[in-house]
Amino acid sequence: MTTDLLQQFSSALAERASSVQGTVAALRLSEARHLSATLWHPDVAVASEQSLPRGEDFDLVLAGGATVKAKLAGRDPGTNIAALRLERALDFHSPKIGEAKAGALALAFGADGAGGVRARLGIVNTAGPEWASSAGGRIERYIVLDLSLAGAEEGGPVLDAAGSRLGISTFGPRGRVLVIPSATIERVLPALLADGRIARGWLGVGLQPVAVPDALQEQAGQPGGAMVMSIVPDGPAAKAGLVAGDIVLSVNGTPAYRLRRIAAALSSVGSTAELRLIRGGKVLSVKATTEARPR
Amino acid sequence: MIAALRLLAARRLRIAIRVEDAALAEELRRLVLDAGHEVVHEHADIVMQAPTGGFAALAEAEPRALLTPREVEVLGAIGEGLTNKAIARKLGISLHTVKFHVESLFRKLGARTRTEALARAAERRMDV
Repeated sequence: MTTDLLQQFSSALAERASSVQGTVAALRLSEARHLSATLWHPDVAVASEQSLPRGEDFDLVLAGGATVKAKLAGRDPGTNIAALRLERALDFHSPKIGEAKAGALALAFGADGAGGVRARLGIVNTAGPEWASSAGGRIERYIVLDLSLAGAEEGGPVLDAAGSRLGISTFGPRGRVLVIPSATIERVLPALLADGRIARGWLGVGLQPVAVPDALQEQAGQPGGAMVMSIVPDGPAAKAGLVAGDIVLSVNGTPAYRLRRIAAALSSVGSTAELRLIRGGKVLSVKATTEARPR
Repeated sequence: MIAALRLLAARRLRIAIRVEDAALAEELRRLVLDAGHEVVHEHADIVMQAPTGGFAALAEAEPRALLTPREVEVLGAIGEGLTNKAIARKLGISLHTVKFHVESLFRKLGARTRTEALARAAERRMDV
């Protein structure tokens, strides 16, 4: 046994990589391309939703090169999680769940596509609070890693120094490496496996926050709203009579340019939303009922 | 072609271009990088990933940084890849006014390029 610290550190990293190998799989996209997936239960793997192509059936290349068929069980763009059900359960022990701390070491693993593992070492750059994604999901922690990742490694497990699982890796804007926290996966996974998706309230409109034109500010009583940029035919907003170009002032009393609060206010299916809006220089009110977002 | 790339890039796409001529490939690569995109070499292809790509947080603007409806219109025209002159013609306003709106857009969005402005505005948009 060597006493050299650097050698000990290096051996510990290599040890970690070989022990994690059984929990990483390559999700084959074509002969030459793959993504990484992380085994979460003996017969369930999770992957980064944004990079997973449409489709139902996938091949997973396991440690050592064996292949197992997996079916898409559900996907949620809001939290960027895709769940795959394996055709057979694997011998697998779920690692402990860890909490990210800024400055702590982080190890990100991916699959090499041929049954091997790829490893990355960095530190936790940011361990922030809960945040909302632009796709309407709630994520327990905002975790950014100070390391780079290849596209094929996205979706693999991220561990702390103790070997506990912080979550799975994914890409944020400008190639930044984020972690989808274990807590978010644990929360979302049961519903994804049961229903194939996470039901969120939906109005069928694309909203862009805008300033209320000066001439209408007094009447509106607020500086901003959200312009209807697009509207889904026969969606809840269309049924309520909204048209593109309307400026929504408030939803159930919340100013419409506060997108995060609006997203939260509309999160349940079948709830009534009272919309105050400006159309043709006049303020009017309409009622819409949220529906489940179509697949 | 660059206008078309810009338009596609604003929509979270990855574009792969196979270029046989090495000098041209290098020139394209520099253009893509200058526009704030990423270039990933894969099998000698240029793969460009839009800066808006990736799992993003919903960005909220302070009231004073909200775009006016006219600025949103100008931004839409930028997204179509139109030049300032073409935007002026399309919206029936002077070139000077277009430049004024574009400056204001850049300031409010904290953007330095047209592509960046499109990306930042996209982060503020929500489908609900």
